[in-house]
Order: sequence, then C-alpha cells, then structure tokens
Amino acid sequence: MPRAKRTTKQIAQRIDLNYFKRPNRWRTWRFVLSLLLPCLAVLWLAAYGLARNNRIYSSGKMSRAHAVLTEQCASCHLSSAASFRASASDQACLSCHDGPIHHADQVFTPTCSSCHVEHRGQLRLAATAVESCTQCHSNLHTTGGSVPYVQHISDFSSGGHPEFAALRPGFRDPGTIKLNHAIHMKAGLLGPNGARVQLDCDDCHRADSGNQNWRFTGATMQEISAAATSSGPTMTAQNYGPPSRSSARAYMQPVTYAKHCAGCHPLPFDKRFAESVPHDTPEVVHAFVVKRFQDYIAAHPGELREAASTISLPTRPLPISPRVYGSQREWVNARVAEAEELLWRKTCAQCHLLLFAPGADLPKVAKSNITVRWFQHAVFDHEAHRAWTCTSCHSKTTSSQETADVLVPGIRTCETCHHEGAEGAEARCFECHTYHDWSRAKTTKGKVHFSSALQIGRGPASY
Amino acid sequence: MRIDDTHKKWLIASLAIFVVATAIYIPYAMASPHGPSGASALGLTFGIVGFAFMVFAGFLGARKRFPLWRIGRAQTWMRGHLWLGLLALPLIFYHGGFRFGGPLTSALMILLIIVVASGVFGAALQHYLPTVMTAEVPLETIFEQIENVQGQLLDEADQIVGRVTALVSPLATAVPARVAIVTEEVAAITETDIAPLRMFYEREMRPFLEKPGERKHSLADPAQARAMFEGLRTLLPPQIHESVSDLSEICEEERELRRQVRLHHLLHDWLLLHIPLSLALLVLAAVHIVMALRY
Amino acid sequence: MSAPGTVDLTIDERKVSVPQGTTVFDAARLHGIAIPTLCHQQNETPVGVCRVCVVEAGGRVLTASCVRQAENGMTVNTSSEKVRAARRTLVELLMSDHPSPCARQQHTGDCELETLARQMGVEQPRFPHRSSGRPKDDSSPSIAVDFDACILCDRCIRGCSEIRHNDVLGRMGKGGAAGIAFDANLPMGNSSCVSCGECMVSCPTGALTNKVTTGTDLTKSSDSQPVTVEELEQLGVFKGVSGTFLSLNRGAIVRRKFRRGDVICREGEYGSTAFYILEGKVRVSISSPIAHVKTGGGATGFLSKLTSALARRQEDERDEETDQRFIPIDAPVDLAYENPVGELGPGDLFGEMTCMSLYPRSATVRAETDCTMLEMLRNVLDIMQRNKNFRAQLDRSYRQRALDSHLRSIPVFAALPNDFLADLRDRVELVRCAPGEVICRQGEIASDFYLVRIGFVKVSQEHPGGEMVLAYLSRGDYFGEIGLLEGDVRIATCTALDHVELVRISGEDFGNMVERFPEVRRKLEAVEQERLQQNRQRLTLTQSLPLDSFLARGLMEAQSLLLLDLERCTRCDACVRACADAHDGVTRLVRDGLRFDRYLVATSCRQCRDPLCMVGCPVGAIRRRNSLEVIIEDWCIGCGLCAKNCPYGNINLHPFEVMVDDPEHPGRKKAGVSRKATSCDLCADHAEPSCVYACPHDAAHRVDPTKFFAGILGTSPAGMQKR
Repeated sequence: MPRAKRTTKQIAQRIDLNYFKRPNRWRTWRFVLSLLLPCLAVLWLAAYGLARNNRIYSSGKMSRAHAVLTEQCASCHLSSAASFRASASDQACLSCHDGPIHHADQVFTPTCSSCHVEHRGQLRLAATAVESCTQCHSNLHTTGGSVPYVQHISDFSSGGHPEFAALRPGFRDPGTIKLNHAIHMKAGLLGPNGARVQLDCDDCHRADSGNQNWRFTGATMQEISAAATSSGPTMTAQNYGPPSRSSARAYMQPVTYAKHCAGCHPLPFDKRFAESVPHDTPEVVHAFVVKRFQDYIAAHPGELREAASTISLPTRPLPISPRVYGSQREWVNARVAEAEELLWRKTCAQCHLLLFAPGADLPKVAKSNITVRWFQHAVFDHEAHRAWTCTSCHSKTTSSQETADVLVPGIRTCETCHHEGAEGAEARCFECHTYHDWSRAKTTKGKVHFSSALQIGRGPASY
Repeated sequence: MRIDDTHKKWLIASLAIFVVATAIYIPYAMASPHGPSGASALGLTFGIVGFAFMVFAGFLGARKRFPLWRIGRAQTWMRGHLWLGLLALPLIFYHGGFRFGGPLTSALMILLIIVVASGVFGAALQHYLPTVMTAEVPLETIFEQIENVQGQLLDEADQIVGRVTALVSPLATAVPARVAIVTEEVAAITETDIAPLRMFYEREMRPFLEKPGERKHSLADPAQARAMFEGLRTLLPPQIHESVSDLSEICEEERELRRQVRLHHLLHDWLLLHIPLSLALLVLAAVHIVMALRY
Repeated sequence: MSAPGTVDLTIDERKVSVPQGTTVFDAARLHGIAIPTLCHQQNETPVGVCRVCVVEAGGRVLTASCVRQAENGMTVNTSSEKVRAARRTLVELLMSDHPSPCARQQHTGDCELETLARQMGVEQPRFPHRSSGRPKDDSSPSIAVDFDACILCDRCIRGCSEIRHNDVLGRMGKGGAAGIAFDANLPMGNSSCVSCGECMVSCPTGALTNKVTTGTDLTKSSDSQPVTVEELEQLGVFKGVSGTFLSLNRGAIVRRKFRRGDVICREGEYGSTAFYILEGKVRVSISSPIAHVKTGGGATGFLSKLTSALARRQEDERDEETDQRFIPIDAPVDLAYENPVGELGPGDLFGEMTCMSLYPRSATVRAETDCTMLEMLRNVLDIMQRNKNFRAQLDRSYRQRALDSHLRSIPVFAALPNDFLADLRDRVELVRCAPGEVICRQGEIASDFYLVRIGFVKVSQEHPGGEMVLAYLSRGDYFGEIGLLEGDVRIATCTALDHVELVRISGEDFGNMVERFPEVRRKLEAVEQERLQQNRQRLTLTQSLPLDSFLARGLMEAQSLLLLDLERCTRCDACVRACADAHDGVTRLVRDGLRFDRYLVATSCRQCRDPLCMVGCPVGAIRRRNSLEVIIEDWCIGCGLCAKNCPYGNINLHPFEVMVDDPEHPGRKKAGVSRKATSCDLCADHAEPSCVYACPHDAAHRVDPTKFFAGILGTSPAGMQKR
C-alpha cells in the first residue's frame, strides 16, 4: 500500500495546519442553524407580541365558558405598573361574576382561582376539587370558635361524609299530615268512582309544576289551578341553588290536597250532600257547612221532623229517638254539630292533627309542616335522576307505615352511584353543595360590549 | 464517548436523583387538589432544578470554547451533560405534572423531548461508531482535509503513471516484454505494453479519483475493483506490476476516504439538530420562566 | 650512486631524484611536469584504472605512472608520440560513451574528461554512443547521478571509503555492464549515503554533480570571476595549500564583488559555499524578528485570525526562555540578543557550517561598503581548514572576538574578572574533530573542559536500556565540567557529529580557576547537582523496563507519545483546538499519523531519546528543557532544518508577514515573509497537556510508551497488530 510506504512524516505533511480554523461546511451549518432556530423561536414570540396577542403564554386550554377570552388575557390577568406579577386576581373575576362568601364566620376566604382553576382544559370551572372544600371542612374551625356542624368531612363516602341530617338518629319527619305510604302503595285501593286502583309514586309526587293530567284527581282544572296558586310557594330550584342550575324539575312539587288527595279522599260531611267540604280552615269549613244546611233546610222545611237515625256516631250511639226541631236554626245547629263531629273527629282527623283548645268552638289544625326541601344544605335534581324508579332510592316507601318515617334516601343510597373512581357518578362536593351563598348574590350587570371585547388582535379594549 | 464502567458514579447518582424526585413527586401529585401544577412550590422546584440541568447541559458548548480554563475537565462536563441532561426530562415532566399546557409550554415539551431523544441517539452513536470507524477505515485521515488528501492521491496516481510512462525506453526494440528474457537486466518496455494501463487510468481510475462525490463507480466496489486490477495485471508486463499494486492501493484509500465521509456525517450530523433545537429550547424556556412567573 | 632512500631517474630527459616509493607521476609532478590523469586524485590511493597517465618507461607496454613506482635509472617519456596516441585513443573512447556536454561541463565547464578531450582535439569521437542503460538517479537530495557520464574511475569509491569511511559506493557488474553502485545498487537517496559530497567532489566528470545548492554555478553568476591559482597563492591564507589542488579545483573558488547594500546571503537559505572577505566590510544580522508565534483571540471563535502574529519577549514573556545573552551564528562573531547585529571585515570567513555540512545560512549578510570576497565550495574550504596558516588566522579571530562572549555566556564564568578571562583566553586550545570522532567517553577519567566553537556535538549516555541522547550541543555550548569537578569519570559520551571545533580548557587551568574563585565552584556544584539528579531520574526510569525491540517504527525512540484512543475519539478536534488555544493559535499536534493497536499515534513531538531535530540548527534555537520538552527560542530564523530532520513531521513552520528593510530603498521597509518553527512542549506551564485536558471523551493520553505498552509487551508480543 502506498500508505504503508509513507512515513508518519509524509502522512502528517499532507495536512494543512490551519484546517481547523478555516470555515468548513459542517461548522457553518451548525452556526447558521444555531442562530436560525432560536431566531425563529424569537420571531414566533415576536409575531404574537407585535399582534399584542398573549395567547401563547396560556398554560392550557380555557374552560368552555371563558374560551372566547383566550386571547384577551387582560380580562383576568390585570397588569399594574406597580408589580411585575399579573396573576388572575379576585378583582378580575368579580368584574363579571359575583361569588358571595360562604359563611360570615369562615376563618379565611380562598381566592377565586384557588378553587376555580382555569387553563386546565375545556372543563367546567364550577367543578372544583374536593380539596377546595375540605381545606376547611376536613378540620373545621370558625372565627367564633364554635363549630355548629360536623367538624371532619373528607369526601363523599360513608366514612368521610356525615349521614344526611334528615336521617340521623332521632330525626323525625315534622310533618303532621298522617300518611301511611305502605297502604297507599298497596294494590286494590278504593279509587274515585268506586274503581279499584293501584297508585304509583307519580300520582302524588311530581317535579313538574305544570298542569299535567293527574290520574286520580277529583278536582276540575279550574280547581286545580286555583288550588295551585293558593297552596303555597311553588317549588323551584331557583331559590335554592346557583343561577346556573335552573332545572325547573329538580324538586318534587308539594303534595296538594286538591291535586293529589281529593280524588280518593273526598270530604263528605252529610249524606244529604254529595259535595265535599272545601279543604280549608275549620272556620271556612264551618261557614260552608252552616250555609249548606241553612240552604238545605230552607229548601226542605219538612226535614225539621227527624226520623230515626241509622247513623251511629261515637258521640251519639244508637238507638237515637226521633225528634222534632223547633226552628230551622236549631236544625241547622244540630246538623252542623253532627257534621262537624264527623269532620273533626273522623274526616279531617284522618289526615290532620286537630287541636281542641278547651272552650274553643272550632279546633285548630296543626300546621302541616310538610317538609318542602329535605336537604337544606344540598341541591338535588330529580330530573337528572329520572331514569331510576322512585323506589330505587326511596326504597323504604312501600314498607313505611309511620308518618314520622323519613323516606328520603340516605348517603348510602347515593353512594351506590356517586362514588370516586372512573365508574362512579360525580362525587365531588360541588355536585350537591355550593360554596357561594347565592341568597346574597348581587346581580351583575355586564359592562363590556360584545363586539369590542372579542376583537381578536385589534383594539385596546381588552388591554 | 464510550459509556463504560467509568460512568458508574454518574449512573448511580443520577438514579438516586431520579428515585428521590419520583418519591417526592408521587405523593405531591396525589395530594394536589387540582393535580400537580408548575406553579406550586414543588412544581417550581422541579422546574428550577430541571432548568438548571438544562442550562448546565447547554453550557457544554461554551465550555469547549475555552478549553484551557480550569473549571473542570472537558470529560467531567461531558458526563455531566449526558446524565444531568437526561435527568432534565423527567424533572420537567414532574414540573408540568405530565401536562403539556398551552402553546408555548407545549412547544417547550416537544422541543425538550426531541432534544433529549436526539441526545440519547447521539450518545449511542458516539458509543458505537468510533469502533466501527476504526475497524472499517484504517486509512482514515482528518475529515476537513479529505478533499485535500483526495487531491494528493490524484497527484500521486498521476505520478505513478508518469513514472511508468517514463520507463518506456525509446530505443527499445519491438520485442514484447512478455517474451521471457531471463536476465537481471530490465527488459525494455514499449508503449503498447503500457497502453492498457493508460487506458484504464484515463477511463476509469482518474474519473474515479477526480469526482469523489460520485457514488456509482465500478471502482467504488472493492470486489469489482479487485477484479479489474487483477485483469489489468494480466495485461501488463511484470515490471510494472508494482505500480499497478500502488494504483490499486490508491483506489482502496479513496474508497476508504469516501466511507469515512459517510461515517463522519453519521457520527456528527445529528448535532445539527440537537444543538440548534437546544438553543431554541433554552431561549423559549427563559421566556417561559418570565411569563409564567408574571402570570 | 643515489643517496640512500632516494631514487634517480630521468623524466623527459631531465634527471630527477626522488624519495624511494614515489610514483612516477609524483616524481614528474614534483618537478613541474604535469601528466594528465582521470582516475588519480592526490588524496586517494592511486588505482591506475583509466590509463590516461600512461608513460613510456622502457617497458614493453606503456605503464600507468600513478601506480608505477620510480626506480633507479628509469627513463620516462611522458609525451612521446606513442604515449600521446594512446592517450588520445583512450580519451576518444571514453568520449564516445560520454553524454557531452555532461552536467558538469554545462554547469562549471570543467568536466575533466571533456577538458582533456578538448585539449587533445577528440571532442567528436568516431565511435557510436552507447548508453549505460541506467536511468539518471535523482533520489539523493543533494547529488545528481548520471551513470552515463561515469567513466568508472573509482574516485568516488575511494573518496567515500578512504577519505570519508562511509563505504557506500562500490563497483557492480562486469564487463560492459560494470558500474558504480550505492550499497546494493539502491537509489542513492535510499542508500546509506550521508550526502557528505566527497564522491561528488572527487568525480572528474558530470556523473556526480551537486544539484540542490544554489550558487554552485560559481563561475556562471554574473558577478563572479574565476580566480587563478597564482592570485590565490599570493594571499597569505593560501600559503601551504597545494597548487595542484587549487588548479584542479579551479571552479570551486571564485572571486566576487559586491556593491554597497548588496545582500550576500540571506538567513534560512540553503547554500554550499563559504565566503572569505578580501576587502570591505559586511553587516551580519538576523532580520527575522526576535519574537515567537502568537495570535490574539485564541484559536477559534468568530473573529479569530487565520494567520499567526509575532510577539516579542517584552510583550509576552515565556517562562521557558533561555537566559543566554548571545545568538550563536556561523561567523567569527556572535550576535547579542538585544541587538543582533555584527560586523565582519577583511580576513573573516563566514558560512563555514553551511559549506561543510550544508546547513542553512544562519544570518543575513549585507555589504556595508563595496566588498570583494572569495566564495568557495567545500572541497576548497576543507583543504583550507587543514592549512596551518589559515587555521592560525581563524584561531586569532575567534579568540579576539568570540571566545570572550562564549566564555561569559557560561553562567559559571559570568562573574569572573576580565583579567582572568584574558589570561584564560590565551591558554585555551582550539581543537578540531572529524565527524564521528569521540571527544570523551562515558567512564573515562575526566581531564578537560570544552566549549563548542562550531559544529554539533552529541552528548549521550549508555545504560541498560540502550543509548540515550541527552543533548545536541552547538556553538556556544559547553560540556565536561561535571567530570572535572568531581575529579571523577565522565558521565556521558560526547561525539562530534560533523566538523566540530572545540575550545579546550585543560583540567589544570580549570582547577586553578575553581580554586581561586570559590563562587565559581559553588555555581558549578549547583549545576552539577541538578544534572546528577536528572541523571538519576532517567536511569531509574529506563532501568526498570526492558526496551523491547518489537516496537519498531520508532515508538521506543519516544519518551512521550500522544495517543488517541480511536475507539473513544469522536474526531471532534477539541484536542487540536485546545492545543492551538494554549499556543497562540498554532496547533502543535496533527490528528493523523500511523496507528498502533487501537491507538492513533498523533503527530506531536515525541520527546525522542535521540532528538534529531536538534542537529544542525544554525542558530542553536531549538533545545531541550529538563530533558523532555523541546522549546524553540525567539531567534529561530525559520530555516526549517529541524522540521526536515524530524522524522515524524512534528515540527512545523509558520509563515507570516513582517516588515523588512527594503534593499532598494535603504531606510524604508517593505513587506516580506518570515517563518518560525513550532513544536509541542508538553504544555509545561499548565498542570497537564491541554489536549489531554480538553478531550471530552477521555481519548487523548500522553504516555510513556515503555510503561503504557508494557502490558501488551508483557502478555503477547506476537499478538500485536503490525501493519
């Protein structure tokens, strides 16, 4: 090999000693690319910067609600000359939203962004983490010192979350209307017009406030609508939940006599009359009854002579001798007494609790105290659960005989579906509870015009 | 650099750092209410340490510019670059909580992944290729001087052929040299004798040497070249066989130099991706730090 | 009857008496009768092969006068018709095969054969030309061989064997195929020829001519005039020089005239002549800047320069600089370091080393006034140096002008008072040594102290591992003091490498000096301690490992190799850049060379045991420090001899622009190119070599080959890869 014939000297002398100082292609390329790529990176940043668009500095996708503000960073990130930092402050949130404080005596108020974390993708901002709540509630303290509530709540599980208040031992349904669900759920009940019926849950309980056909109602449409307006406040979720949760079918509408009971439980007071007494206060009923008898005796004066009664009343057991009434008034009084005897002692008392004060003519009906909303501190939406049968959750209903039974399901029932993990329904706190006390919410009036706020890349409005 | 036993200390230290970082990360990630975030205290710590590793790795180039400064041997810096640079990847993942974030941070993560991956690839190349080069290209020379040397080979070949031509004796009779003349004297060589060599040289070998860029040439294949030279030897008188051997070896050297060019590119071209991207990475990372702290 | 020991004979009808044993040729010559010869040379044993010197001596056949001894009563006729005819035919026959005009005839017009032919009128031979069939041999760097012009006179063979004892030349072949050959018929450049030039000088024709040296056209250049023997003999210095010799070598000495301002020779150029000044004054200087190579900005970087620049000692002080105060040059004076300018006048000879040993010119000589000088080739200078008168003049000149500064430059003598030095100056002896002569031997009893006036002396030590060269000493260096102090034996052998002249101070004088000046003794002892210490270190090192002859290729010659582990090296050039950074932009290593096992032996100074690079530096600028690192001093004139000598190509020259005096416009400067040599110095001012420090892949190692390869040597020497 010629190479083998070459000495070290000849090999070395082929090399130009300044070779490493001369530019060579590879080094040139390295230099050029090392300038080019960072310059491109800077240009990329500068392009956005010149367009006054800071969206590249976003640390993640915005939630759906705020996505339109992706390029309007200053909507939330208020910058000031005083400080270098421009993190999203509460002040920025409050310019569009209101977020009333939770409790006056809370030990500290977390910032909006500590619970509502933006830039985490297209999720719901309201869906805060359990830790947002448990940062206080896992070991609750108040400024006053007293803790009127369960002190340690960690998550929604029978271990970490207290049993619902209504179901805690010792709690009784305060309602005074006597109701035996078990009987009502039996088959072959005596229905209106003498038919035998099987009641369904939704024959009495519906979430809808609309006037749909009630199967067993005895009232006419007019009566229903009249009754609807007079039977107390309509239950909607609006009063109890955040504005966003405006499902009109969240809660069961209150059970009213007119819609739900009258069909099977009429209020007869005398066999002479087919009609029922009005479902009203004893005073109204008394007046009604009196009027009816007065009208009747006026129309049937012959009735003053009374035949032997075949009606046996507890206060007037048989046999009853016939008598003649001196006046119509007397007759009316006797009849009213009988009717009211029936009513106060039987008909009304079948459901109501009547209080007979000594010396009073008419009894007082105890307030029905039907619980409008069982969960005072949580929101529940029946509409969301419409797939399930009522008895899936209200499982004790068919066997409940006591009025005092609380038939609202306990935490374990909810836990069946609402548990942590990929196969559970939402079990984070926000699903049922809210932090913000919406009863104190101020209405916010929008201040920014749509077109100017969303001008992408143009206009100083967003800055 | 060969990754061998001398790297043990670095490997153990790096593993230790990784294990410690993971041990810190897992409980932190599980305990974070909204998931781990770069802005949390631990997230920031991971970010700072990761960035520090990246910056140190980036300084390797600067270190090589001042080879004489007594700030640690080039070897130490190189090993640090490899191991700490590798560690930067999991640390930055821990920093971001395995999320890629917005446009700038996604770009950073992608750049980091590419840079570290190309670095690992390059380290593997530097582990295996030198041995391959040493074995395959025994006649290697300095890469930047290859064109120069190839030119010199061409000159050498020209000279060899010139010398052979000069051997042609003008007064020789037309007795073909192949006719055996058993003397110690040099038998006269005629023009016709060396014509095959001339022709071969002008048609095949010279173009081969002149255009090193051209890949497809019959002499570029060693087996073919060997056959061609064997054939050539049979056509030429024995006195110039040595020159033919010399030419054959020049071709061999040329082939080896071409091979060296390819191997050299293989060994070095990945850096043309790695270095610029890493610089862009550092620039963007600095911007990210400022902006993330601001917002 | 002749006197005892003499012979009486008649030559051309003249009665002559000569001592017994004189040849007829010499007898004739002694009495002014010139017999033409071709194969006879005065300083060689006559062989009588050409037969041109035949004379009639009364025998049946003509006899060759150069070998025939004169006998009593012999009658010799040197120019009878028969003799003339014979000579003519001989010359004609020789001419018929001669490629006239041969090289010598063309260059100097003094081919002896052709001169004879012209004289005899046989320039156009009748016989056909026959070529020797051997091509011209151009392989030797200094001598051109044209076998066609060879007349087989064997003068070259005798010159090589008898005079030079090199024994390179010999005869080969028989009959018509006979010829001269170098070794076993190798090309001259590949043979063991040392280019001493004796054969060339001896050759009568153009078979062996000088090819490299410029200025050999001594008689051809326009301002040279041939000078006759008579003119020469009138000069005092030529008294005693053989007139015959001068006449035979007429082309080898010419007279030259220079005008004021002419440059006679330039430093760094190669030459082969010496100059003897007859009239006028010349200025001797080193025009190469006294500076070393430097670059601003390091080796790399955006704004680095491609070429180096120079930095003087004031701008950039280097630790390893010598503290010698003069620059030794090839002239009777030495140049002071601060102001390297000297003056020579009539009677001064300069260019000795260039002429005798073909070293490059050591300084630039410019005529200050109009000058006349004699320019001569080596054969003439050689004879001159053997001549008593010439030597005496040289001695005187040296003692007066240079000896002082040489003595002063020896640190131990620096503090001596002037009168002592004056006394010493007159008592020293100037000794001449032939090439290869051993001046003092390791182990001999020490008796003298030496100072080198001219030439190169090799100082070496024998120890179990082999011979190791400690240093090459040149003009101004000294040796031998240790032995004198100890009163003991020499610790090293000193050999003359070429024509060496020494100043010898006898042991007795030395002892007196040391006694009278105790501080000198103290200084000497300090130096001695240091040297002994280094010696001991070296000895322990080399004794511990056997030098294995397996590592041919000169690797064992090295004391330190830069090895690049090719299985780790990524060919990134960091080592080269670091080296350049540490050395002002000039790399001292090249990443190419031969391989050994899996290592590349990089081209970088190997700190050889026998540093061939040091031989021949005309200004003594390359030297060893602490026995390993090689450094090159600032006054390097860039002649490139060290680079040529280094067998591995480890020394490189760097050109750069300088401003030099413009000869056409005195007082003004113009741009010129100067060169400086550089070599690896093991980064002695850093903790470790920069290349090793800067390699990111742990691939570069500076190793001692005996230790490093001991493992390989120990296990399986046969298993080593050999290429």
